[in-house]
Amino acid sequence: MRDTQPFDHRPDPELGAALRAALEPRDDHAAFVARVMAQYERAQTLPPIPTLDVLASWFRPGIAAAAAAFIAGLLFGRGVLTPAPASIEAAMAPVEGTGLAALVTAQDPPDASVVFASLVEQH
Amino acid sequence: MGNSADDKDLVARALAGDRDAFGVLVDRYAAQARRVARAVLGDPDDADDAAQDGFLSALVKLAQYDARRPFGPWLMRIVANAATDRRRRRNVRRAEPLDPSLVGGGPRPDTAAMRSELGERLRTALGELPERRRTAVVLFDVEGYSHAEIAGILGIPEGTVRSEVFHARRRLRTLLADWKEQVP
Repeated sequence: MRDTQPFDHRPDPELGAALRAALEPRDDHAAFVARVMAQYERAQTLPPIPTLDVLASWFRPGIAAAAAAFIAGLLFGRGVLTPAPASIEAAMAPVEGTGLAALVTAQDPPDASVVFASLVEQH
Repeated sequence: MGNSADDKDLVARALAGDRDAFGVLVDRYAAQARRVARAVLGDPDDADDAAQDGFLSALVKLAQYDARRPFGPWLMRIVANAATDRRRRRNVRRAEPLDPSLVGGGPRPDTAAMRSELGERLRTALGELPERRRTAVVLFDVEGYSHAEIAGILGIPEGTVRSEVFHARRRLRTLLADWKEQVP
């Protein structure tokens, strides 16, 4: 038996042999092989991918959860992202002095300075 | 461990429905699978059940085997998982931890006399180690797998495998040395 080296890369033959003897199966090797092979046909009839069954069981709850999440997201998006409609008065109110209202409501063609002023006010 | 190229050929044939090819694989790895399962479970009958579960599970999953990798570690991972699963179910059923006396398979008058004292001691010592530790040392020192392969089998980092093997060896070597001192 070799000295104990931390994280030795090589198997210990003496310890390995002792453990092997301690764990050696009692019964006949051939009997075990025959026992496994007796189940060969049955094993081949098992579903190859039982995961599909698991996924199938989650299908309906998954669809319901996805629909609920979609509706909640839709409502949230409409509530948060859509700006509240402004009244026509608010839209037409000048920010300062003569502006968009004067331009729109004037009977005569606008003066160039008014147009210019309204553009400057918008920016 | 089996011949790698030969294993791959056998797997390919088994996948194609060749019953005999699968039988050769079972014959080749049966002893190893039973020892690994016994390292996990202790009880030899439970271990054989788990090894059988492992082989049949491997048969069902054979299409998932990556032929670029060695077959032995892939199979041992399935066997170790089958044994761990069986142990969990057994513990739930019994609602108590593994009894070290079970490591030898319990008192069986028909076979007890055949077991050596050292074997009994080693099985008891193995049963007192954490499951991952005893599986790691058996895979390394008995089955000859590398640390990297054991890391793949147990699904843990390679450094953890080294540590587990080191601690298991320290315990088992002490036991072995004590026994050698007692033996004239």
